[in-house]
Amino acid sequence: MVLARWWRTRIPRYRLIGAQCKSCGRAHYPPRKACPYCGSTELEQVMLPRRGILESYTVVQSIPGDTRFQAPIIVGLVRLENGVRLVAELTDVQPEELKLGLEVEATMRRIREDGDNGTIMYGLKFRPVLGKS
Amino acid sequence: MVYVSRVGMVKIGRHYEKSPRDLAFEAVREALADADIDSIDYLVVASSLTYMQSPQLDLAAYIASSLGLPVKSALAVEAGENSGLAAIEVAVNLIRSHAAEKVLVVGVDKLTDYPSGPTYEMLEALYDTESDAIYRIGHAAPLAMLMRIYMEKYGVDRNTLAYWPAMMHAHAKENPYAMLRFAIKPEKVATAMPIADPITLLDAYPLGDGAAAVLLTSEDQVGDHLARIKEVAGAVGMPSIALREDPLMLEHVAKLSNELNLSEEKVDIIELHDNFTIMGLLLLESLGLAPRGKAAELVATGYFDVDGEGPLVNASGGLKARGHPIGATGVYMVAEVALQLAGKFPGVKRPGAEKGLAVGINAHGSSTRIVVMESV
Ligand SMILES: [Zn+2]
Repeated sequence: MVLARWWRTRIPRYRLIGAQCKSCGRAHYPPRKACPYCGSTELEQVMLPRRGILESYTVVQSIPGDTRFQAPIIVGLVRLENGVRLVAELTDVQPEELKLGLEVEATMRRIREDGDNGTIMYGLKFRPVLGKS
Repeated sequence: MVYVSRVGMVKIGRHYEKSPRDLAFEAVREALADADIDSIDYLVVASSLTYMQSPQLDLAAYIASSLGLPVKSALAVEAGENSGLAAIEVAVNLIRSHAAEKVLVVGVDKLTDYPSGPTYEMLEALYDTESDAIYRIGHAAPLAMLMRIYMEKYGVDRNTLAYWPAMMHAHAKENPYAMLRFAIKPEKVATAMPIADPITLLDAYPLGDGAAAVLLTSEDQVGDHLARIKEVAGAVGMPSIALREDPLMLEHVAKLSNELNLSEEKVDIIELHDNFTIMGLLLLESLGLAPRGKAAELVATGYFDVDGEGPLVNASGGLKARGHPIGATGVYMVAEVALQLAGKFPGVKRPGAEKGLAVGINAHGSSTRIVVMESV
């Protein structure tokens, strides 16, 4: 992943900021310049709830890149408390603990490392809410 | 009217000693072997991973100059896994607008030049690199999550879904251009090596190299044709499964299908995009060719097979077993459907087929294209 692109998208990625459409009322993540549902450009940035449930998940074995030391990669489809969905990596969870409906919360983690220039990229992953699994 | 006049394909597989240009050359030579053609108006190249690999820009011009036949102009089209049908769309419109009369479409991509890890990383870019693919989702994670939702929502068990790859392998066994020419038993699918659970190796397309060529012409250019292209239409979908109202419904595919009246008319032959088992099923349902949640069962009971009541689906073996050289795949599809409609497909076929479809998407459905073809 290119450093400049990573830098440009950092704020919503660090703070879980979405966009709320003033026209149709729907919110989405990450924030886009136009509403993906109705096309309106009347959007305002909103903080999204940091908790949600797992609507689906997978344990990725076909590891992209040279990440054999970080396997397994677990990816989830998370539905936040306000209904906004997003795809994100999961962390602090074992594959056998995964289940549909699991309550999860956002937490800051290392997402990628750029091997060539040593940059470490951070962002939000989701982990089970303690005592709810 | 636009005709598919000639087609050529390279057997998909590991072609380590051949460059994209070499593969394109072979496909074109096979396509034009018996055509009385001394020049081409336009070359449209479909490729995707090439630009991340070789690297080579203005690829179409370099391919054009290595074919050994005069080509007036050349351009390349990139639309991820949907590149092949995008190139067909451009070519059809060049002919319809009278900008060209003889257009050669060549699709080519290589997936075995690098080890699988870096290849999966390149394939990750088929998804949105500003949202889902910020994370290490590889080539399969979003579809694996759709498969889990499908099984849960409709109560379909893993073994019912296994009939799709079994049918694909049975078809590929008879197709000389297919990569995986062997049969598999449905009961082996669930316990095969996991790719991204519940997707296993036997649900996933193999990494292979390939090239296919299609010569499209207006009337009177070549005496005989294989098939006629009636419609080509495209649509853009949501950039993530997370933004779909119902993740299992490809709304843009359903809309396109309605516009083309696909569920009303009798279709004999379909080549569609089954990069993973689940996508083959979701496309059948989104196209309106199977009721929601029932596609897997219809496949298991043979409805879409050669003797079934429904259209014959993926007689080539599909992406699953024919293979899926990303940008080239759509060109294979059009070549295969044209051969079916001409009664010349060298594998599982449906004699007397009059109407066929090629249906392609990228990734989870960021875009789609449908080509409607008829016999001549
Ligand atoms: Zn809106």
